Amino acid sequence: MAEKKKMSVADILAAARADKQSVADSDETVVESAPAGTDASPAESPTSEAPESAAKPAAMKPGPSGRPSVQEMLAKARADKATPSAEPKATTKPGSSGGRPSVQEMLAMARANKATPSAESKATTKPAAKQPAAKKTATAKPSPVDGAKKNVQRDTASILAAARSGAKPGPVSKAEAPAFSKPTAKPVAKKVAKAPSRPVPPRPERKKQEKPGKATAADDRRGFLSYTVGSFMAVGFTALAATTGLFSLGIARFFFPNVLAEPPSRFKVGNKEGFPSGVVETKFVAQYGVWVVNADFEGIQQIYALKTVCTHLGCTPNWLEAEQKFKCPCHGSGFYKDGINFEGPAPRPLERYAISIAGDGQLEVDKSKSFQEELGQWNDPASYVTA
Amino acid sequence: MHSNGFFLNDVAGFLGGYYAFIAIMNGIAALVLWRKKDAATWAFVWSVFAGVMMIFASLALSGSKSMVPILPEAIRGLVNNLSGPVLYTLGTTAILVVLYVFRKFFVQPMVAWTVLNISLLLLGLSMADENFAAIVMKPDNVPIVGLVYLLAFFTWVATKQAVVNDERIKQGLPVIEKVNDEKVLVWPDLVYTELICMIAVSALLLVWAIFLPAPLEEPASSVKTPNPSKAPWYFLGLQEMLVYFDPWYAGVVLPSLVVFGLMAMPYLDFNKKGNGYYSIEERKFSYLVWQFGFFELWITLIILGTFLRGPNWNFFGPFEYWTPYKVEVLNNVDLPQMFWVQWLNQPLPRAPQDAGLLSQIGYILMRESPGLLVMGVYLVALPPLLAVTIFRDFYAKMGFIRYMVMSNLMLLMLTLPLKMALRWTLNLKYIISIPEFSLNF
Repeated sequence: MAEKKKMSVADILAAARADKQSVADSDETVVESAPAGTDASPAESPTSEAPESAAKPAAMKPGPSGRPSVQEMLAKARADKATPSAEPKATTKPGSSGGRPSVQEMLAMARANKATPSAESKATTKPAAKQPAAKKTATAKPSPVDGAKKNVQRDTASILAAARSGAKPGPVSKAEAPAFSKPTAKPVAKKVAKAPSRPVPPRPERKKQEKPGKATAADDRRGFLSYTVGSFMAVGFTALAATTGLFSLGIARFFFPNVLAEPPSRFKVGNKEGFPSGVVETKFVAQYGVWVVNADFEGIQQIYALKTVCTHLGCTPNWLEAEQKFKCPCHGSGFYKDGINFEGPAPRPLERYAISIAGDGQLEVDKSKSFQEELGQWNDPASYVTA
Repeated sequence: MHSNGFFLNDVAGFLGGYYAFIAIMNGIAALVLWRKKDAATWAFVWSVFAGVMMIFASLALSGSKSMVPILPEAIRGLVNNLSGPVLYTLGTTAILVVLYVFRKFFVQPMVAWTVLNISLLLLGLSMADENFAAIVMKPDNVPIVGLVYLLAFFTWVATKQAVVNDERIKQGLPVIEKVNDEKVLVWPDLVYTELICMIAVSALLLVWAIFLPAPLEEPASSVKTPNPSKAPWYFLGLQEMLVYFDPWYAGVVLPSLVVFGLMAMPYLDFNKKGNGYYSIEERKFSYLVWQFGFFELWITLIILGTFLRGPNWNFFGPFEYWTPYKVEVLNNVDLPQMFWVQWLNQPLPRAPQDAGLLSQIGYILMRESPGLLVMGVYLVALPPLLAVTIFRDFYAKMGFIRYMVMSNLMLLMLTLPLKMALRWTLNLKYIISIPEFSLNF
């Protein structure tokens, strides 16, 4: 190979264009010029392959790499199908010189096969191989070379017409595929359409017994599920909805654990006497997240339980004894001993938990209920115990 | 706080290498300048400086604490006493303004080199202070120091190119990006460069992970918050914003607006100049707004949050010991409190105990009327007012919708510095304070 580097799309296109030009100008065979557009070195292919490949549909020449590309294989398959009468040799020579055919080459190949379904002689193929290049330059105009073989129809419309009439089953290109698939689909449709006309009871009976309908249309076997539930979309979305629903339920289950490893929401903190006036008891913070305070609030000496959650963003403030304030380490919010916010960004006072005197005379804190000052809930007698 | 011996082992060894590094750096610079022939004076200056740094290095490695070069106690005390959030913010603003106004001076390589050397020297002298070293050399913070230098460098490079381009545009020459076309092939040039960068960064991360391991802390607990409690460094700007606002605004609305504003920028921009090359003169408004938002409202806040915010989120001077018992008076009040109680001498309007929901809302609206009025004027009346005055030109070029989006984004961005200033001057907590519905602004 002359160039080790893989060619970019731009390079291939440029090369293809150059080929087109040269073919149009000179009278060389396509084979000789086409590999120049591919990876193959121009020196290699003409010498080894030119005589042989010139005889065959030119495009059937795999490039130097030896591995046929997908297009190549498709084209080959089509060519095989289409030209059963042509000698097998004519269709491909894999690995003979390796390399991938250029776009132009492949087009040429496809057209050549299409055009000469009964390619037997070298004489007929040669112009056919040459054809695409010339044709490309003079878009879709039947080239003068065709004059030699008038019976060969080359343009898509005529091929389609031929295909529809069923006279000539030609090779199918990608563009033509839909047109070709129609006729094959039609018979099935016709059968289905005819079916109701044959039996006298048209619908109800068919609904009851599905088997005859199935038997008539082979394609409908796949549609069994969609026939029963509506459509495949319905099947898919029903399954999706069911799965999502089950998944959500599974997740919801996590909110109700079998065992709760957290302290009870009601707990006793000791007798009133354990909380002297003016003292903030911090020993319940680590376990329960509560400060128990005995202080004066709005003229009443009361014992209350403050929740250790900053009302700004939920950090745990620290009680600073020397400064007599709660101070949050996250954004510097400060609260007085009674929980009222006075500095930093905290927008509202700390919250209180319910506190009461239990039957045994101990103070009992209930964390399931909280009281917010800004809602006027601190007046609720459940939010404090008078000291 | 470190004990002296421990501190000496920890820091003095590092400082020895640090000063030696500065010396080598300047030695190389002197050599390069000497080879250039026309910069012999600068070569001399830097070689002398390199010599001094070499002496510093040996002093630091001497093993005696008294020999390690350090900033004088008096200067450190003065810095501590002077520094505070207000001075920090005003000071950084002033520095940025000076850098911007005299950019033609600062983009000169020798000036920049001098500034770099001074900052490195000050950093070294400060690091001999235990309190300073404890914060700067914390494994989490070391990369942030590096980032500050990296950011300064890239800003300097961009500004330099912009200054050169502005000069060329003035002279009618094509911009520098058009002249030296820096286009390279993706393969192999760019990909190879990226590969080399990838390997270098991986190596750096490896070394970093080995020498600066992340601190292992005690298990997390919902009732124990570390003091100070800091967000990751890139969120410290957000954390600082949260000091001045309710979480819904500083934590949700403002960050979303930052993202939305960044996305909206290309659609709001009507200035077709400066496309594909650096320029300041041609895009002054965009440049200044961007740099203000980025440096003033993001970078300086990150530096403030990283290095100067200590326990209880109090402000600490760079050489101050981080004590959790520092007392700072930060009492603040909401605007309605200020308006009704302090200025009108009457109690806050409060709904009677048995009032219905609607009448409660009515009372709340009356209580908050001053704040609502202020915000209404700020966000509703100000944009049209600006449109007919200083932004007349913009309004004509942008059209109604684009202008409104732009002006509102800008006004919302400015809520942060304005709120900071109000907090510092008037001890204002919230302009609108409706804790009943968790709506505070």
